[in-house]
Formats: sequence, C-alpha cells, structure tokens
Amino acid sequence: MVFVTGIGIISAIGKDVNETLSSLLENRSGIGKINHLQTIHAANFVAGEVKYSLQELENLAGIKNSNYNRTTLLSLLATQEALLSAGIKDTKEFRTGFISASSVGGMCHTELLYKDFLENKPHSNFIDAHYTGAHATDVANHFRINDYVTTISTACSSAANAIMLGARLINNNILDRVVVGGTDALCKFTFNGFNTLMILDKEWCKPFDDNRKGLNLGEGAAYLVLESERIVKTENKKVLAVLSGYGNANDAYHQTASSPDGQGATMAIQQALEVASLSFAKINYINAHGTGTANNDSSEATAIKNIFSENVPPFSSTKAFTGHTLAAAASIEAVISILSLQHQTIFPNLNCTTQMQDTNLFPVTSLQKNVEINHILSNSFGFGGNCSSLIFSKS
Amino acid sequence: MEIYINGSGCISHQNTIDVTDFFENAQTACLPKLSAQEPDYKDYVPANMLRRMSHIIKMGVAAAKTSLQQAEIENVDAIITGTGLGCFEDTDKFLRAIIENNEQLLTPTSFIQSTHNTVAGQIALLIKCHKYNFTYTQQGLSFESALIDAQMFLNENKNSNILVGGMDEAIQPYYDLLQQAEHIKNQENIIPEIEKNQTKGFCLGEGASFFVLSNEKNKNTKSVISGIKTFTSIKDGADLQQKLKFFLQELNLSISDVSLVLSGNSGDVNDDKILNDCNQQLVEKTNIAYFKNLCGEYFTASAFALWLASVIIEKQQLPKSLINKEINLPIKNILIVNQYRNMEYSFMCVASC
Repeated sequence: MVFVTGIGIISAIGKDVNETLSSLLENRSGIGKINHLQTIHAANFVAGEVKYSLQELENLAGIKNSNYNRTTLLSLLATQEALLSAGIKDTKEFRTGFISASSVGGMCHTELLYKDFLENKPHSNFIDAHYTGAHATDVANHFRINDYVTTISTACSSAANAIMLGARLINNNILDRVVVGGTDALCKFTFNGFNTLMILDKEWCKPFDDNRKGLNLGEGAAYLVLESERIVKTENKKVLAVLSGYGNANDAYHQTASSPDGQGATMAIQQALEVASLSFAKINYINAHGTGTANNDSSEATAIKNIFSENVPPFSSTKAFTGHTLAAAASIEAVISILSLQHQTIFPNLNCTTQMQDTNLFPVTSLQKNVEINHILSNSFGFGGNCSSLIFSKS
Repeated sequence: MEIYINGSGCISHQNTIDVTDFFENAQTACLPKLSAQEPDYKDYVPANMLRRMSHIIKMGVAAAKTSLQQAEIENVDAIITGTGLGCFEDTDKFLRAIIENNEQLLTPTSFIQSTHNTVAGQIALLIKCHKYNFTYTQQGLSFESALIDAQMFLNENKNSNILVGGMDEAIQPYYDLLQQAEHIKNQENIIPEIEKNQTKGFCLGEGASFFVLSNEKNKNTKSVISGIKTFTSIKDGADLQQKLKFFLQELNLSISDVSLVLSGNSGDVNDDKILNDCNQQLVEKTNIAYFKNLCGEYFTASAFALWLASVIIEKQQLPKSLINKEINLPIKNILIVNQYRNMEYSFMCVASC
C-alpha cells in the first residue's frame, strides 16, 4: 500500500491548498482575462493563469535571482508545500525520489528568445533550461532529493503517470518516499497549438454540456508526497489518503483524438480497479478528465458507461475552476480529489446546464457536502493516445 | 532480476541497420555533427503515415520495427521510451511559424507531433498496441529512466515482452543552439581518440535504439541486462570508482570479470575528467573502449551503447574500429559507464547467456 502524506498545489484558484479549498467551496473559478501571457490573442480568450509574475513567484518561494523559469518556480512552490504538509524536514533520512511531469518544460522562456536566435541576434543561453526534464533536476537539487529523479512527458496524462510511477517505485522497494506530480506554465506555444486545433472555448468552458465548445487552458503545479507503509507506521505519519489503484493504457486510435468507443480510457479505468481490488460499485465519485472539448467528453462519458453501465456514480470535471493545466492536470486533480475525500465533499462541474444527448450523463453541478466518499476515480488522457486512471481511497 | 534482450534495432551515424556491415566498416567520425545513416523508411512504415513523420519519429519507428522483427513478435505488453530533447524538428517548425506569422494562420500538424510521447504513440498506433505506454525525459538519463521502468514492469508482469527505446534528433537549429551555447567542439579540435581530448565541447550525434525485452529467454535471446543504476551527482573519480565497485558487487562481479568497459567520454576535457580518472584505475584489470566517437554525444547515446554491447556479446566479436587490441573470448560481461555533461551518470551491465 502507498500512502499520501503530503500535498501541495498552485493554480489559477490559489497559491496553496487552503486557497484552493476556499475557491472550490465558494464556486470561484480562476479562469479569466489573460494578464501575464504575452499573446496577440489575449483580448479574445480567457485562461486559468496563476495570478503572479515571475518575480512574485520567486518572492513566494523565498528565493532570489534563481534564473528559474515559470515552470520551475511553479514546481518548486508546490513541492515546497507538499514537503511541509508531510512534515518532511530532512530529505535524506529515507530513500527519496522526485518524479515530475511536464509537457513543454522551459518553452515559456524559450519562446521569448527564439526570435533573436532565428535572427542571429545575441541572446542568452536558453537551450540548457529548455529541456522538459530540466525543472525536475533544479527542484530536486533545491530540496536535496537525489535517490531517483525523473520526468514523465505523456502530454495531458503526464502527472497521472508520475503518480503511478511513484507508487510502483515504492511497491518495488526501490524508494521509501517519493514526491510525485507535474508542472506546466502557460505559453504561446501551447496556446497557439490548441487554438489551431480549434478546441479552445473563447468563453468559460462547459465540460460535459451538450453545447460545449472547447477547453480553457490553465497553468499550475501540484505534488503529492507518497510514503511506504513502513515509514507511515514507524514514523506515525498522518495519512491524507491511500493511493489504491492506477492504470495506464493506450487508445491507439489517433495522434490527438480520442476514440469514439473510449477503448483506451476504459482499459485504464479497468486496470486501476483491478490494482485496487475494487468493484466499480465501490467508486463514490469520479473526478473526470472533462476538458470541455466535444471529443474528449463524449469519449470519456462512453468509457465511464462502458465500466459503470447504468450505475454511474456522481462525477464532475474541475477544469472549469483551474483550466486545463496539461501535464499538471492529473496532479492538480489528485489534490482536489484528496480534498474531496478529506472533506467528504463533491466539488461541482461549473457552467454545465444541458445534458449530453449521446450518453445522457450529467455531472454534479452544485457543491455537495456530507457525501460518503470512500473511493475516488480520477481520469487523465492525452495526445499520443495516453490514458491513465488513479484511485484515491480514504485512509 | 535478469532482463533478456530478444531483439534490437538501431539507427545511428553508423550503418547499424546492417550489423555485418557495421562490424566490418564502422568508422570513428571526426565531425562536429554526426547525422544518422537512414534506411529506406518505406520498408518500415506505410507511405501515408510516413509523409507526416518527422526525423525522430521515423528513426524511432524503424528501430522499433527492427527489434520486433528480430524478436519475431508483432505486438508487445508495453512501450516505454526515453528522449532528452523530444520532437524538436516539429517544435522548431511550430515556433518559427508562431514568430514568422505573428501567431496567425497556423496549421496544427507540427504542434500535435511536438509532444515527447509522439514516438511511443505512433508505434502504438502502428502496431495497434493498447497496453502500458510511457515516455520519459530526463536529459542524459532519459533512456535509463525507461529501462528502470522496464525492469519494474517485467518484475510485476510475468511472461511479458516489452518494447523499450531511446531516441534523440540532431536537427540543424538544435545544433546551432548548442553551438551558440558553446557546447559543440570546433572542427579543428576534433581528434579520433575521444579520450585524449584536451579541449572543451562535444560532437553532436543522434539516433534511435530500441529493444524487445522479456523476462523469458528464448531462441532469439541475444544477451541479458544484468544491472542498471543511475546517479545525479558524482564527486570525483574515486567516488565513481567506489560506486562502480558496489554496483558490480551487487551483481556478484569484480572488475576483472568485465571483458569490456564502454566508456561514455564525450570528448569534452572537463566533462570527461571524472570518467578518465576512474578509467585509469580500471585499465590494468579490464579493457576500455569508447563509443561516442562512433555515434556522437546526445541524451540517449547510452541506448546506442546498450545496442553495441548486446551485438558484441551476441557475435562474440568487436567492430574493428572500436578497440586497438585483442580481447580474450568469450566476452561475458560488458559494462557501460555513461556520463552526460558531468551531471548525470549511469551504469549498465550486459552479459552473455
């Protein structure tokens, strides 16, 4: 068994767990006008930006002149909170790892300097900070974690895979303790990428609504501290949740689109249930991937029906709060799922009013308190057909 | 745990698609950029898919397919890849378009193929593999991360065949960026004996190396990966030597059991110092050869080294250009000691079986 003993998060709805919880309880979406991202499209779209400049993020982290880019600083802040929340002061006392996830790493910085490079103008060396794994090296070094450090980049499912890998490293007795999660900063590269795919909603996204028009991009980072049963027992640690199941499969249908029959997603959910030794009926709530695109929500709803048939548990997508934070999404939603478990509360799927005609599924659209929640399924899917599901259980 | 290599495929600066030719004609290269020798990709991918594929995807798919053919299997239980740089050709293309067209009138093709998991995703699509699919990116340990996952996967799942690979591309803009960052060696400083370099910089290489790995030995088994270990900081030559000693001890080996060390010198005088210091202590007891003067330096060059070690063990012979002395047969254990910019180190041990 693998235990979650710490959580840390920064996103459009708050710079830490407390602010995140308040926003969720008060229906406060973080999606709004674009202020930090330098794009010609800023006036025409909304996004889930973290409300701080690079300098302000550095100040929050209590560091100076770090030269870290936004991706790294977001990662550092969420990791700091996760370690603090797990009461870890010494990262050397057990075999400790850092498993991160990111889709574009240092792109937020690279894209600002690439024009100078193309025009042969002098520019500072940005290529060494560009690599998607570079932030993990920096953050792991910052917290003196070095028993195992790696980064996963499987597009929008990345952080789910980081969490899954962390659990496996503990289960295989390679590590005792591991910080797992993901980070992605908004950048012109991804913004324009999703825009060319014509899957951005210019207004607030409406996951699982029959009239949904696309997703809103977001940014952020979140990390969990996973610890082995041995540490939890000997150190008498407070357990926030149990990571009881995980599954990974590939849709093998199309480079970007999900299959209409949701095959990859169905397989990932099935595997997660098998690992957790749970029947589908034990799942009390699904934190869905629910991006708000026509394709994802319909494919995911089909996968959910494949597993749960007529007994679909309450589900919601919290992306209308945070925006789609890409490689960080699964860890941000893992923290939100753990908050759901801790507070026995289902956070609503905002902006959804019309039931989807093809599957007749309808998400939870208002805050539900005092719900008995023992097991939560959290889904994440990405380009390249990558599908991952996690199950968090009450300790 | 033992991991059997039941198939392997490699695209590199050498003619690694034709292994016989490679053993006869491999040459150390004295160029700042070592581009891959590419096969006719039509032999590996349907033309309609090939048209859209970037350089790294083609290399990856061809290497993956070669390893599947060798292992005589059509599908696998997992696809695990590592790439330090990811799909830079498509990344560069999309970035240029953003800048040149001021964020307008863009097309999505290069964007959707720019994610690091594109190669693993395309292989899955090509062979219709719905199973476990992971992509790692951790600079000089990207391939090793994939291999460590592979080791766990084979431990967790009996009777499995999995596809594991590492790939990186050396397209011109990336070369230019590295040159401006002063990482590339000047042509006049390049010498064939990579370990004797006294100047800074490396020669950039590229390639893709894939392996069909299994926990089951069969008639196609070429060699066995007996150990892998990674480090994110090494203090000095003595520290590296100490860690190597522990690594071998865990495998019940001593350095004299190692027929050959493949040392990951990049040709950069500073970055190679720790390796050279360590090698000096090993040279009396074993044979040391260098591989980056064959394939160039890149994030996943260690995957090329693993391919090389595996074919040497399978054939029980050495490529003529690799080492200037006779080695006692049988070649039982080959140790790969790699470093990337003196920041990341790894050990891999490959044995006969």
